Amino acid sequence: MTRPRHTWPRVRGWLRSDAGPPSLAPREEPPATAAEREAAWVEERAGRGIEPAVGTLGGPASYRPGAADADVALAQPAWEDARWSYLYGGDTAYASEAPAPGEIAQAARRMRGGAPTSDVYGPMMKAPVWTWEVPLYFWFGGMASGSAFVGLACDVVGDERSAAIARKVALGALVPCPVLLISDLGRPKRFVAMLRIVKPRSPMSMGTWCLTAFGNVMGAAVAADVAGRRRAARALGAASAVVGGYLGSYTGVLLATTAVPVWARSRVFLGPIFVATATATGAAATRLTLAATGLPSRATASIALGNVEAGAMLAELALSSVNERRLGRLAAALHEGSPGRLFGAAKLAAAAGLALKALHPVTGRHGQNAASILYLTAALAFRFAWVGAGRASAADDEAVALTARRRQPS
Amino acid sequence: MTSAPTGEISVRRDGAPRAGFFTDTSVCIGCKACEVACKQWNDLPADGSEFKKGRSYDHTGELSASTWRHVRFLDVLEPTEERRVQAAEALAAGSGGHAPSLPAAGDGAGGGVDVARAVADMDRWIFMSDVCKHCTNAGCMDACPTGALIRTEFQTVFLQPDVCNGCGYCIPACPFGVVDRDRIDGRAGKCTLCYDRLQDGLEPACAKACPTDSIQFGPYEDLVEVASERVATLHRRGMQDAYLYGAGDEPDAALAGGLGAFFLLTEPPERFGLPAQADSPIQEHVVPATLSAVGAGLLAAAGVAAAFLHAARRR
Repeated sequence: MTRPRHTWPRVRGWLRSDAGPPSLAPREEPPATAAEREAAWVEERAGRGIEPAVGTLGGPASYRPGAADADVALAQPAWEDARWSYLYGGDTAYASEAPAPGEIAQAARRMRGGAPTSDVYGPMMKAPVWTWEVPLYFWFGGMASGSAFVGLACDVVGDERSAAIARKVALGALVPCPVLLISDLGRPKRFVAMLRIVKPRSPMSMGTWCLTAFGNVMGAAVAADVAGRRRAARALGAASAVVGGYLGSYTGVLLATTAVPVWARSRVFLGPIFVATATATGAAATRLTLAATGLPSRATASIALGNVEAGAMLAELALSSVNERRLGRLAAALHEGSPGRLFGAAKLAAAAGLALKALHPVTGRHGQNAASILYLTAALAFRFAWVGAGRASAADDEAVALTARRRQPS
Repeated sequence: MTSAPTGEISVRRDGAPRAGFFTDTSVCIGCKACEVACKQWNDLPADGSEFKKGRSYDHTGELSASTWRHVRFLDVLEPTEERRVQAAEALAAGSGGHAPSLPAAGDGAGGGVDVARAVADMDRWIFMSDVCKHCTNAGCMDACPTGALIRTEFQTVFLQPDVCNGCGYCIPACPFGVVDRDRIDGRAGKCTLCYDRLQDGLEPACAKACPTDSIQFGPYEDLVEVASERVATLHRRGMQDAYLYGAGDEPDAALAGGLGAFFLLTEPPERFGLPAQADSPIQEHVVPATLSAVGAGLLAAAGVAAAFLHAARRR
C-alpha cells in the first residue's frame, strides 16, 4: 500500500516540540456575558450577510490567529487531519476489491447513457435571476445597434442629414442601457468590477466592453456631427456600425451559452434572431424619428427603412418558426404560460405591421408609422418572451434532464 | 476592490495538486451534519426549513447561495397510491388505521411496527450530500465577467466575495444548478471547498463532520483510487448499479472534463437531480453561437446598406 490514508497519523508541529503550544490569547477581550455577545453580534451584522461571508475585503479568510504567525490550532500541513478521519482503512472491507480494467468507466457509461428516464427528481438547475431590466436592455441595445447600421447605410448613399439623425437615435437608445444593466446587478455599486478584466471567453465581459466601446464611439460620432466635422462623423459612424454588429448579436450568444435547454438548443438561431429584431427596431425607431423631423414619406431613406424593418421582421418570424420546429419538445417553453402569450402577441403585432405595410396604397403615411410602432412593440414582446421562456425552460426539470441525456458520449 | 493577481482568470492550473471530495451515497445516513458544519464554518444564514419541503422528507430544500452542502433525500419509500387508499379505508372503518399490508400496522394485535420489514426496506431510502462539483471545465468560471470566480492553487473553483457584483450569469451557466444569487446579499454564493481551511492545512468542514465518512476529502488521485475500489467492492457484492459520477470516465465521456467533487451513485443521475451528461455551456456553445451571431450582424449591416442603395437607384 502506497496510500498515505492507511498510515497512522504522525504527530507533528508544536505537539512534538518542547516549547509547548504558542500562546493563543485573544487580542481583545471577548464580551463577558452571552447577552453582551449577542448585542455585539447583532450590531456587527445589521442587515445580515452584507459583509463578505468568507474573509474580509481582499483577504483569504476571516480567521485571525491569536499570536502573530501562529498556525491554526490543530493545523496540519498536507491535510493530515483528513487522513485521520478515514474510517475505512486497509483493514476494512470498504474498498477491498481492485476494479477490472475499464470496469469503472463501463459502469458509469451504462448508468449515464442509454434511453432518457422519466424519473426525474428536481430541481435540475437554477433558473436565471435576471428581471425586467435585462430584456428591456436587449431591446434598447438592439435598437442602438440597428440604428448604427442605418447610419452607415445613409452615409453610403450620401444622405448626411438622415445619417446624423440615425446616429442620434442610436445614442439615445444607448443611454438607458448602462442604467438598466447596473440596476439588475445584485450589487449595483460594484458595477465597476465588470471593467477590471477583459475575458474573451465570457460573452458578458465582451458585451460589457462592446457596450463601452459603442457608447464612446457613437458619442464621438454625434459630437462630430454637432461640430460639423462630417468626415470624422462618417468614419466614427462606420466604426460604430462594426461594433454595433456585435452589440446587437452578442445578447443571443449570451443566452445560448448557458445550460438553459431552450436557449442552448437554439444556439445557432438565437444570434441571428436577435440581430433581426435589432435591425427591425433600429430601422423603425429611425424611420419614426425621421418622419417626426419632417422627412417626407416618399424620401429615399424613408422608403429604404420601411423595407428594412419589414424585411427584418419577416426574417425574425421565419427564423423563429424554423427554430421552434427544430426544438420539438423544448419549444413548449416558448408556447406555454406568460412567455407563450407574449410570444403569440409579438407574432400578432409583427404580422399586423406587415399587413399594414402590404396595404400601403390604402393606409398611407399614418399606416406606415403605425407599422413601425407595431414592429417596435413586437420586438419588445419578443425580448421579454425569450428571457421568460429561458426561466420556464430551466424550471422544467424533465426538459433539462432530457437535454442532458440526448448528448450521448460518442 | 483588489487588483487582479497575475493569472487570476486562468481556468486551469495544470500541475497544481488537486483537492477534491468523494461523496459515497452508499454509506450516507442523511444526518445533515455536513450541512450544519458548512453553515457554521462559513457563517451562512439559515434559509428556513420546512418538513416535507417539496415531495420528500428532506426539509432543507436545495443548494443555494446560502446552502453550500445539501443532503438530497430520495424517498423511494413514498407510499404508493394503493397503500394510500388502503390506509384511508382503514381509517374510515374506525380500526385505528390498521391495514394488513402496511408495514407499520404489522400482524400483531397491538399494531406495532414491523421492524424486520422496515429494516429490509431501508436500503431503498437513499441520501446524497450534494455540493459544488469543482468542475475541470467550470461553466460558472467561464461565464464570470468580473473574474470573481477563479481556479485556486488546489484546483478548486473559488468565488471571491469581494469581487462578485451579482451579475447572475454564472447561475444559468452551471449545468448542475449549484450557484445561486442571494436575494438579500446580492452576490452569488457557492461551496469554496473550504479554501480558508485548506490553506491552513485543515480538511473542509463537511468532510470533517461526516460521521460515516460518506464525504471523503483528500488529494484527487487518492480519492479516485479509493472510489474505484469501492465501486468494484460493491459490484462484487452484487450491487451492479454502483458507479462513479464524475470520475474514472474515459475522456470522451467525462462530465465537464472531470469533477473535482465526484459521487458514488446507485441510481440514474436524474433521480438525484443531476444531468446525465454535462459540460461548460460556454466551451460547448460559444464558437458556433458567436460565428452565427456575428455573421448575422455583418449580413444585417450589409442588408441595410443594400436596401438604401436599391432605394437610391430607383429614384
